[in-house]
Amino acid sequence: MLSKLLFRNQDKKQLIIAMIGSFLGITFLITSIHYLIKVNEFGQGADILGPNTIIVQKKVTTSSTLNFAKTDFSKQDIEKLKSNRFILDVKPVISNNFDVSFATADPMVPRFSSDVFIQTVDPDFLDVKSIKWKWNIGDTFVPIILPRDFLVMLNTFMSASGIPQISDELAKDIKFRFRISNETSEKEYINAQIIGFTNEVASILVPESFMNYGNEKYGNLTEQKITQLMISGTENEFGLVEELLKENHLESKNSQMVVGRLKSMVGTLILVVLGISVIAVFVSGLVLIQYAQLLMSRNSYEVRTLLRLAYAPQKIINKFFFYFVKIFAWVSILGVSMFFVFKYFLDAMFDEGGLYIGTEVSFYSFYALLLAYILFSLASYLNAKRGIYKEF
Amino acid sequence: MDILFNQIMPKPLASIQHSKESIWGKEISLKQGGKIMLNASSGKGKSTFTNTIVGLRKDFDGELLFDNRNTNTFSAKEWIAIRKEKISVVFQDLQLFYNLSVKENLQLKNSLTGIYSDSEMKQFLELLEIDNKWEQMCGLLSMGQQQRVAIVRALLQPFEWLILDEPFSHLDQENSHKALRLINSRCDEQKAGFVLTSLGDTYGFLYDQELKL
Repeated sequence: MLSKLLFRNQDKKQLIIAMIGSFLGITFLITSIHYLIKVNEFGQGADILGPNTIIVQKKVTTSSTLNFAKTDFSKQDIEKLKSNRFILDVKPVISNNFDVSFATADPMVPRFSSDVFIQTVDPDFLDVKSIKWKWNIGDTFVPIILPRDFLVMLNTFMSASGIPQISDELAKDIKFRFRISNETSEKEYINAQIIGFTNEVASILVPESFMNYGNEKYGNLTEQKITQLMISGTENEFGLVEELLKENHLESKNSQMVVGRLKSMVGTLILVVLGISVIAVFVSGLVLIQYAQLLMSRNSYEVRTLLRLAYAPQKIINKFFFYFVKIFAWVSILGVSMFFVFKYFLDAMFDEGGLYIGTEVSFYSFYALLLAYILFSLASYLNAKRGIYKEF
Repeated sequence: MDILFNQIMPKPLASIQHSKESIWGKEISLKQGGKIMLNASSGKGKSTFTNTIVGLRKDFDGELLFDNRNTNTFSAKEWIAIRKEKISVVFQDLQLFYNLSVKENLQLKNSLTGIYSDSEMKQFLELLEIDNKWEQMCGLLSMGQQQRVAIVRALLQPFEWLILDEPFSHLDQENSHKALRLINSRCDEQKAGFVLTSLGDTYGFLYDQELKL
């Protein structure tokens, strides 16, 4: 009967407008956060290099070939790159200064041997558990990250030898061996095992400790030059990283740039939609709160009389509070349902367009909805409390 | 519950010249179970007296004490408890819900304590000869009928004091006596006192204390 008394005197038109606004805001809020996360996750896990990471080198020109221009990086170059706000980290890529050959050492696989080039990068740039990525003298094997092209070459060789080709997972079980040596024919054999693959680096990656060991024990004494750098940039600011590379005459593998550019563009677009959604949710929340104020003001006589009849203010506050919290809950349920409808079609569109983003739901969207719900509930409660006590 | 008006002077009435008999600015004690007639002409503060005693107005100098406790210290929760169990009121402007039926108006009040059944509430209405209005919207009743509904509603709770602010102003003598008999019997049942404010008519009411404003 209390509800009949307090909610009879309403202009439902304004309520419906506020509900539609909230519904649209919530739908776009969940959808945009979901796709912002998914786009940022795009490409993660496909490569062992961390997200937003590229390897750069100085552009090789005729003058650099003729030794008129330097292609190596000084400490100042590195510090200069690091000083940019959108650059998270810059580390040199260290190469071997000794002879390395890489061979299969598994009775199940035909013998294959090749001189190779190995490199090491800071573990912070790798999407690999640090426990796996270490090597100490005496360890049974060196963990390595193999260029995927190398595996393709290995499979071509297997195929030519009449042996079935091997998958990524199977390759991780094959035993390999490094032979490290120097010009004085000192040499050493060390077992190796693949722990991951990369599309972005052309050389075999090894832990830093192994590289230091080889360089110290077998390396020639000339000072090693840094010709490649690993750079990680901030999310959605890949345009700035690209600009910086241009300014400094640096280049990177094109595929890395394309993915970074694409992610930045889509990410920025979705951020704009997210911004609009947040404003929409905020404004529609305000309209609902304003509607609640209007409702209380229209029912001020009823509220005042109830208080005079000994109705507890808290009981009347709860009536208004739960009424609007229930409305927001219904709007949220509708918004979430609409998100799943959108997701069904958008996932199909992305898939058709060749953007294979994850289809599992991002919980951050729901955390955002929960936050919006908590904020709205809090604002509703305080609004109802203020309105009711004003009549006391 | 004893009520003590200690030098109370409502601020809006401070500039008015009050008679020597006026309770404003004096110490007046209302003893539990007392039957009090409060006579005053218009504009002397009868409704101010009613609203002050139930905590609706706090714009006064002096102290209002319930059982020696200063009401200035009462929280909203305490005032609600007092309105629910200690003091019941018939307001001069009745404070009915005009878009609800007589039944709903009475049920809304009774639901706070649940002391009466629908049939008992109907019996009260019957004593005042408006039981046939049970389902009727309050807004459609005459002023006299509305006054009787407001009186019955005020009786639907336990109380130690019943404050009646010109409750019979639209009732004829016969209906006033019927209402007064009902009020008296309910007060006697609960050993409660009441304050009846009036413009001068005593309605044949046998009071034990008369106050003036």
